[in-house]
This record gives sequence, C-alpha cells and structure tokens, in this order.
Amino acid sequence: MKLINIITLLYLSLTLAGLLIGGFFIYLKIDSEIEFEMGRELDRQVDSVADQIRRGSPYEGLVDDRLEIEILPMNRAEESLNLRDTLAFHDPNDKQVRQLKASKSYKIDGKHYRISYFNLLVEKDDITETVVFTMVVVFLLQLAFIGFFLRRISNRVFRPFQNSLNQIQKFNFSSNEPFEFSKSKIKEFDQLNEFLMRMSAKLLKDYRQIKEFSENISHEIQTPTSVVRGKLEHLMNEDITEKQAELIHSAYQNNERIQRIVRSLSLLAKLENNEFETPTSINLTELVKKNLEMTKELIHVSGLELEQDIQEDVFSVIHPFIAEVMIQNLISNAVKHNIEEGWIRLQLNSEFLLVENSGIPLRKNPEELLQRFKKESNKTESIGLGLAIVNQICKTYGLSFTYTSEGSIHSARITFG
Amino acid sequence: MKILLVEDNEELADNVVRYLDQVGVLCETANSHYQAEDKLLSYTYDCVLLDLMLPDGDGLELLKWIKSRTNSPNVLIISAKDSLDDKIKGLDQGADDYLPKPFHLSELLARLKAIYRRSKLEGSDELNLGEISIHYSTFQAFVNGKLLDLTKKEYDLLIFLITNKNRVLGKQAIAQHLWGDYTDDLANFDFVYQHMKNLRKKICEAGGKDYLKTVYGIGYKFEENPS
Repeated sequence: MKLINIITLLYLSLTLAGLLIGGFFIYLKIDSEIEFEMGRELDRQVDSVADQIRRGSPYEGLVDDRLEIEILPMNRAEESLNLRDTLAFHDPNDKQVRQLKASKSYKIDGKHYRISYFNLLVEKDDITETVVFTMVVVFLLQLAFIGFFLRRISNRVFRPFQNSLNQIQKFNFSSNEPFEFSKSKIKEFDQLNEFLMRMSAKLLKDYRQIKEFSENISHEIQTPTSVVRGKLEHLMNEDITEKQAELIHSAYQNNERIQRIVRSLSLLAKLENNEFETPTSINLTELVKKNLEMTKELIHVSGLELEQDIQEDVFSVIHPFIAEVMIQNLISNAVKHNIEEGWIRLQLNSEFLLVENSGIPLRKNPEELLQRFKKESNKTESIGLGLAIVNQICKTYGLSFTYTSEGSIHSARITFG
Repeated sequence: MKILLVEDNEELADNVVRYLDQVGVLCETANSHYQAEDKLLSYTYDCVLLDLMLPDGDGLELLKWIKSRTNSPNVLIISAKDSLDDKIKGLDQGADDYLPKPFHLSELLARLKAIYRRSKLEGSDELNLGEISIHYSTFQAFVNGKLLDLTKKEYDLLIFLITNKNRVLGKQAIAQHLWGDYTDDLANFDFVYQHMKNLRKKICEAGGKDYLKTVYGIGYKFEENPS
C-alpha cells in the first residue's frame, strides 16, 4: 500500500472515531442544554402566571392547553419547581409527544395553587438526526479536504522521498552512475539522500575495484604463465630422469590449469562488461554441426554414444565467437561429466538447444553448478567455470538457460527468444 | 627460414627464440614497433611473428605497414585468446594466420612451417625424412614409397610430430593441436595415446622404424633416427 494512502486512511479513521465520540457527547449536551433552557423558560412562565393570579386575574381564565392549574389543600407545603418529562397528547401533531412539564405551587390570598406549564420537547430522534447530519457534513468536508489538500500537500512533502525511491529502483552497476539528489528542504529526507549518495558512490567504487582487479589479474597472469609453459616445454627436452619428468608434468598441468582459469575469468568479465559488439544473426545449425564434427572422434574415443536431432537453418542473434564458446562448453561438459559407456543427446530446433548426457546422479542442486567454481565432481582437471560461462552468455544475450538432473540424466537447455 | 619476432616480453621472446633455434630456425627479436620497423627496413625475413599488443603502438598498424611494402614477409599474428575482433581485423589486413595466446611452442612451429610451406614451396610440396615422405597437396604419407592409410587426425598428428621432430611434445600440446579447446578439462589423454598407438602401428606395418617414442608420462617424441 502506498504511504500516502496509509496516511489518508489512518487520518480518516481517526477523524471518524473522533466524530462518533464527539457526536455522542454533543448529543448529550444538546439534550441537557435544551431541557435546562426550557426548564428556565417554563419556570418564568409559571412565575408570571402566579403574578397574574396575585394581581387578581381569575385563574380559570388563564388555563389553556399548555397551562394547568390545580387547587391544593392549604395545609400542604408549598412545592418548589419540579421539572418532569412526560408523554402527553399533542393536538396539532395528533399524537403522543414528549413534553416537559414544569410545576410549582404558590399560596396566594389564602389559596394554594399548583401551576403546571407544558412545552413540547425536541424529539430525541430530531436531535440525533441533527447531530448525525452535522457530523456527516463535517466528515464529508474532512474527506474533501483530505482528498484534495492533504493529499496534495503530502504528495508535495513526500516528493523528494518519491524521487529518491525512483532513483534507487533504477540503480544498476553497469550504468555506473551514483545517485544524484537535489536538496529537498526537509532535513530527514536530505539526511537519507546524503546517506544514499555516499553509499551508492562507495558501492560503485568497490564494484569497479573488484572488476578491475579480476580483469587485471586475468590479464597480468597470462604472460607469466605463458613464460612458465615455455620454460617447462624446454625443460622437457633436456636430459631428464623419470622422476624429473613427473615433476615437470605436474607443474606443467597445474600451470595449464591456471591459464584456463584466468582465460575463463577474463571471458566472464568481458561478457559482463558487454565487450562483444552488437551481435549479428548467425546460423547455429552450421556451428553446432561443425563443433560436433570436431568432437565426434573425442566422443567416440571416450566410449560414448552420440544421438543428434538437428533442425536445419536455426538462426540466433549472438556473437559468433561467443556462440562457439557456448556450444563448446556444453558439449565438452557433456563429455567430461559422463560415465563409461554413456551417451550424449543433442537436439537443436528453432525453440531450444538441448544437450543431455548420462552421468552420475547429482548430489548438489543443479542450479548451484551454474555458479562460478561450483562443481559436482572433485576432478581437479575441471575448473568449474564451463556452466557459469554458458549461464553468463545466456544472461548477456537474453536467452534462458536451465540445467537439470533427473536421476542419471543431466540436461542443459537453452531456450531462444 | 629466418623470422622476426615482435614481442615486448623478453621472457616470452626468449622461449620462442630458443625453441626455434633448436629446430634450426633463425629468429631475431624486436621489442617495439619502432625496433621492428628498423629491422624490417634493414633485413629480409621469411615471416614476422607479430604480437598485437606493443608498448609503442598498435600491432595492427605495424601489420598495415608491413603489408604495404613490396615483397612483404608472411605475418603470423599472436594475440590474446578472446580478442576475436583482432583476429578478423588482422586476417583482413593480410596476416597469414592467427595464433591465440597462450600457445604451445610446438604449435607455433607447426603454424610457421605451414605458412612457410604454403608461400615458399609452391609446387614442390613434398617432405622427405628418411623412409617417410609427405605429400602435402594430397594429404598423403608414405613409408618407403608405400602409402599409409591414415585418418585425417592421424595425418595431422604425423605432420605435427615431424615438424617438431626430436622434440618432446606434451600430451596437452598434441591434444590441443588436434582437438582445440575441447580437451581443456579432460582428465586423461588416453585418446592421444590411442592415436599414437594407431599411427605407430601403421608406420611399423608399412615396414617403417619405430619413430614414435613415449617420454615418461609427459608426452611423445618423433625421433629422426631411432635406435
């Protein structure tokens, strides 16, 4: 839920609660105020009737539908003002209505009169109606006010925050732009923005450093390992003993491994940096066939059966070198992680490229193998970057790559489009 | 054969020079664009080994300059493995071949010899080595005049071995020469052994000597004069 909506909703429910409670008290207050005022008024009326009697007016002539005069025995004590709610029949309304009756007794000229004066009381329903009506009007006004002004104001107040949010959402490492916020006049937001700016700059700097480091290291290691390889090749040709040969061989193999790691890492870095020019459409079918032709013998020598189902003229938009690396990696992965008398099945059509092979059931989650240096076997020859490279290639070119394992069948699938 | 190596890393250059020297190829070095131009103006070479990364300028510029001269030597470009664009540009500008770095010295020699053969030995593309003769144009190999029935890989292997004769070739170098990157992560090189075995058998069956020697666990060697 949006912040502004939460605030509006909270504000409205608080207002509503306030109005309900307030309305209740207003109702009580109005009710008692009306009774009090009317009581006073009736008291005055009663007093003035008593005055008229004192001045000698015959009390019978004064009686009307709102005034009642009774004669009480003289020996009863004078009654003070007595206010009572009663239900009485009201002619004009033709029904029983609530009335307030004020009565008081006076001893005038040896006679004891009880003078009662009635007046219509405002109906409870009417008060309720009024109160509710007022409250509803107030609430509607509030609603309009909040809807129009408060939301506008809040929107304006929160605009810097919203801007920051938008920028954060757009942040990515490859565009290499730290956050740039303008001053907002609100202290808290400025603090937040300043922190975000500092953090983004730091993040980008760290990221650049890490990237540069891996790029540099892969580039810089290439030369010395080449030198080492050459020296070892020379050493092989010296007059050496078998023991020395073993040592040379081992050093040589490990040096080769370093070279492969470095080469793969530098390829990964280049892929991440999008260093391969805008791709053109290439014929994958030809490429796959060419690669299979090159590996057929290898597959055969490794004692594997090859099954293929390749559709003609499958095109994909991808850099030719990268496509080759991708296919090479998939095929050599299938050869490498196979079992004795296993098989490889390769399927290519306009929708997907599927490379399946027999293998030892995986113990790890196959998704994990897409990460760098994650490998299932502890064969030291495998450096565990093959699938990571394929994964990165697919990411770079917007293809989807899945690697799954069902029992002893491993399948790598690249879906086009 | 006389070649010029343009490479700024001394150690790498030293490796190449030493290797080529041992197989009788004269190799001079230049460590910069400037020095390379200087040497090319003064001497003639059969081939230039050109590293595209030079301290004082782009190797491609030097390539353009070399190819603009009359009687220009062959050029074999050396560059980082995944710089595909360098490869395309280089070949476009008249380079004869491209060798990605890092390379095996034996591979370098094989490429050099192939370029040399293509350009210098027009017509007479035969190689005779004692009992063995190779006809490059027809991809055939003979032992004492008898045609060997070799697969393409076995033929390539034989050429590779002969080109680097009397030198120990590592299994990796052989595997990479024949199958490229596919052999990168393979645990065993049994398939190299298989091919070696077949080749040896075929040569011996044709009455040839046992030229192919296994060198401990490291690799193989083609001995010109087997005992």
